[in-house]
Amino acid sequence: MSIYSSAVKKPITTLMIFAAVVVFGIYSFVKLPIDLYPEIEYPAIMVFTSYNGASASDIETNVSEPIENTLNAVSNLKQISSVSRDNVSVVTLEFEYGTDLDGAANDVRDALGWTEAVLPEGADEPIIYKFSTNMMPIMFFAIMADESYEGLEEELTEKIVNPLNRIDGIGSISLIGAPIREVSVNVDPRRMEAYNLSIEQIGNVLRAENLNMPAGSVDMGEMNYPLRVQGEFESSDQIRDIVLGNYQGKTIRLSDVATVKDSIRDVKYDEKINGQPGIRMMLMKQSGANTVSIAKKVNKELVELQKTLPKDVKILTIWDSSEFIQNSINNLSMTLLYAFIFVVIVVIFFLGRWRATFIIILTIPISLIVAFIYLGVSGNTLNIISLSALSIGIGMVVDDAIVVLENISRHIDRGATPREAAIYATNEVWLAVIATTLTIVAVFFPLTMVSGLTGIMFHQLGWIVTITIVTSTLAAITITPMLSAKMLRLRSEKRKKRWFSHERLILPLLNRLDNFYARILRWSLRHKKIVVAIVTLIIILSGVLASNLKTAFMPEVDQGRVAAEIELQPGMAFEQTMKVTRQLEDFIEQNVPEKELISTSCGADDRAGFTALFQNSGSNIINLTMRLTRAETRERSSADIADLIRDYLESLPEVTKYNVTTESRMDMGGGNNVAVEIFGYDFEETNALAREIAGKIENIEGASNIVISRDQSKPELRVTLDKDKMSQNGLNTAIVSTIIRNRVNGLTASWYRESGNEYDIVVRFAEQYRSSITEIENIGIQTTGGIVRLGDIAKVEEYWSPPKIERKRRERVVTVSVTPFKIALGDLADKIKAEIRNIDKPAGTLVNVGGAYEDMEESFADLGLLLLVSLILVYLVMAAQFESLKMPLIIMVSIPFAFSGVIFALVMTNTTLGVIAALGAIMLIGIVVKNAIVLVDFTNLMRDRGHSLDEAITMAGRSRLRPVLMTSLTTILGMLPLALSSGDGSEIWAPMGIAVIGGLVFSTIVTLVIVPVTYRIMVRRSDLRKRRAVKALQMLDI
Amino acid sequence: MKAVMIIYNQALTEKVDYVLDTLGIRGFTQWPLVHGRGSTEGEPRMGTHTWPEMNAATITMVPDEQVDLLLEKVRKIDQINTEVGIRAFVWNVEKSV
Repeated sequence: MSIYSSAVKKPITTLMIFAAVVVFGIYSFVKLPIDLYPEIEYPAIMVFTSYNGASASDIETNVSEPIENTLNAVSNLKQISSVSRDNVSVVTLEFEYGTDLDGAANDVRDALGWTEAVLPEGADEPIIYKFSTNMMPIMFFAIMADESYEGLEEELTEKIVNPLNRIDGIGSISLIGAPIREVSVNVDPRRMEAYNLSIEQIGNVLRAENLNMPAGSVDMGEMNYPLRVQGEFESSDQIRDIVLGNYQGKTIRLSDVATVKDSIRDVKYDEKINGQPGIRMMLMKQSGANTVSIAKKVNKELVELQKTLPKDVKILTIWDSSEFIQNSINNLSMTLLYAFIFVVIVVIFFLGRWRATFIIILTIPISLIVAFIYLGVSGNTLNIISLSALSIGIGMVVDDAIVVLENISRHIDRGATPREAAIYATNEVWLAVIATTLTIVAVFFPLTMVSGLTGIMFHQLGWIVTITIVTSTLAAITITPMLSAKMLRLRSEKRKKRWFSHERLILPLLNRLDNFYARILRWSLRHKKIVVAIVTLIIILSGVLASNLKTAFMPEVDQGRVAAEIELQPGMAFEQTMKVTRQLEDFIEQNVPEKELISTSCGADDRAGFTALFQNSGSNIINLTMRLTRAETRERSSADIADLIRDYLESLPEVTKYNVTTESRMDMGGGNNVAVEIFGYDFEETNALAREIAGKIENIEGASNIVISRDQSKPELRVTLDKDKMSQNGLNTAIVSTIIRNRVNGLTASWYRESGNEYDIVVRFAEQYRSSITEIENIGIQTTGGIVRLGDIAKVEEYWSPPKIERKRRERVVTVSVTPFKIALGDLADKIKAEIRNIDKPAGTLVNVGGAYEDMEESFADLGLLLLVSLILVYLVMAAQFESLKMPLIIMVSIPFAFSGVIFALVMTNTTLGVIAALGAIMLIGIVVKNAIVLVDFTNLMRDRGHSLDEAITMAGRSRLRPVLMTSLTTILGMLPLALSSGDGSEIWAPMGIAVIGGLVFSTIVTLVIVPVTYRIMVRRSDLRKRRAVKALQMLDI
Repeated sequence: MKAVMIIYNQALTEKVDYVLDTLGIRGFTQWPLVHGRGSTEGEPRMGTHTWPEMNAATITMVPDEQVDLLLEKVRKIDQINTEVGIRAFVWNVEKSV
């Protein structure tokens, strides 16, 4: 028994099977995590090697180069690059997307085994570190306080950080810029030397005095008492009265040689939130954890936890990456709902029957829910790609059900009982329905096989559309006939027709449309040459327009966030940097009313080791993050504001380098920039070339944020010791360098304990005695023969340390990166390429244009290949279906017009062609081809039934106009909310909506004319095959 | 004893079975799927893509007096909608075992 008759005869079983699917689907849906994109693991491995004491160029030749050479052979490696700084080498291996990083890490480990023999003796063993987007922070909070600022760190660690750490999925939480309490002993070296003391001695005294010790036990009578010596400082005030020793009969206390301060550590670091001192809290998730669900829990917990904090402590969100994701997904879900409503309207408009519409519409939730099961089973998330896929599917899943239902109602109208009609009508069309589904699958299935970044993005789309379409076909041949058998009724012709009924209002309209189309068709068949001429013109015109098309990899998204990293002149003092920071804050305060919050930090916090992975810090570096109001509520986009800030930074003479970005590049490997890579060994030459190129690029309109990757040389003070003089005084390098370190950096002598917390007691020179070369040279070193000045045994010189050395593909490289502003990425790259062509490049240098532009080119190449594969597959499927090599060609004539439509729509709306829009264009093939198949197939049918060629064509057109319009309209209207949406994230999917609508409107209109005309041109009047068969039989002379 | 062969669109299967039952005709032989086309107007029923519909055929041996009753019923079915198509043909049964 066939599947459809079983379904009709066992309605309960059918219903239960679908109910089970729906229940399972809803279960998966509830469990589905939300994310912005499918999980994209940036496939990179870094190898850290430290070699203390080596300069950047030593590191390059002795460490980075040998490591690069051995690792170059690791399989799946896409690109190798390295950065060599003083003491450290970092080699980054970038793999092809989809590479198993664990396997790759093993390969790297094996390969590194070979390098050990080559690496210099003093170099540490290389450390392998897998880079993961999961390591990126997901939330930033600003915490501000007035009175309780000083003890804030303890308060926060105890009441916020520790409880939050218990949330499942939190990787780590760190506090940046927290004030650190410290007892500092600032020594006056003159007085200290006068009393014949040294820093080390003072440290020893402090260590010796700050002591608690158990001293045994004492038996007294019947009792036993433990004996303890309690010498630890009970308050920091005690420290200043410590006796250091005696000098000429006089007691010397610490306060005689030093000032003691118990307050916040003197760090060259400044953290301000909206101009007030504050702390930033950074949250990272564990690998594989879901951003949105963690953020939800964190926000919920924070509300509770905040109640336990002192009243003046305020917690503000600087940036919550889940907010944008959540808003985007909500927006997209809404558009999905609108799409559903539109489809319902279209179906009811064309069919005009409630029961029939209900049966058809039911296939939508069933098909979409199966997609959720797929997402749940494959461990994917509900993201922009999967939701876009669903919104594409929504218009297509009803088609099969419509075909089946129409045939069933035809039978019922002829007097068959609904049950019989359901079985026999489905029997008549089910093969045809499966055949068209195959064509759609042929378009979408290749998507699951694309490689690279594009592949990761579109696997889901390919699977989801394939699965929903196949499910919809299954539903169309089981549940649709089943429900038709139960629900449809024979309509009596005699029923009174109300004036507002479908028959009165809409049907005449549709009939007029049919007639109108038939007239156009007849005219076109008579004027084939004119039609062909017009159509060729359209193709040429769109080809010309295509050159005006703007291209970009991923659309720039307004996430309501602007971040800047600003570098002032190297060696700039911290105070000066702070001044510039305040200026910058004032400027933003006055000129950017859209800002909700500014967080700035400048200087270097020497304890923020881990955070240094994510941002550069230094006494001359400013980091700024700004949160803007929501995108819908402001006129200027985040890119506009970023440009405003760039202009301002340009006007500041202190600023040497800045990088203002609007997106957190955390979800995608790509980004949106053009990087000009200059390869060459000579620093001077490549630097000069980089500057020349940067200068030229500056003149290009739309080029902004031009950053040269190679840092300028940094000034440093270097102490060169005279070995002879040292040995004469009984000193060596170790002793002298420790002495210098203790005096300048400070000696942590002991720890002051208060209510369970420990604070450093740091002894060092007061600041004024360590802030010039003379003062440093004046450092006294006690020897057996008295005090020796550092200046006597060493020279302190100013020195320019070489920059960090970057390498790529095993050659030195300088990158000039440029961000497009109101210009398409592709255009910018073209202009830059043109400029570079005119520059004289010194011998031995090589210039390459890459960056996100390179990714874009790669993706487009991938998509191009995909297009080709899809086209071939569609042809193969159709040739088999029609058992003809000619028919697929007639059908595929309509495809170029879909692309013309896409080009017209994008150019007219001034939309950029990104990967997502290009994808929309590929999806069009499926729909356009489907329409053409319907036309051609029905024409063939009419001819087989004995109608003449012209008659068959017009008849087919006339009777298939409604199904074609229905298919197109459901998809067009389903995409309309996508194209028109303007909320968070709409930049990502709006281009796809525009592309699909443009392509479909245009191609539907053109297809309805050009496919019949091509058919007329390509097919001869009578069927050749039949004629041959008849001829053969005639020869038999039966 | 007459043989009545009824050839009809398969969509009428239930109606034909019902008619046989109401007339108390127990014996019959049925071919559920047969191809064919009408002599004058009847559309071909070939089960192909071009002519997707199919016919069914039932032959039954009935006493002479039931033939007219049966043909009357067949005519009624045909009158519901002539497009669907049902035909009955009667001939003599000479002998049987």
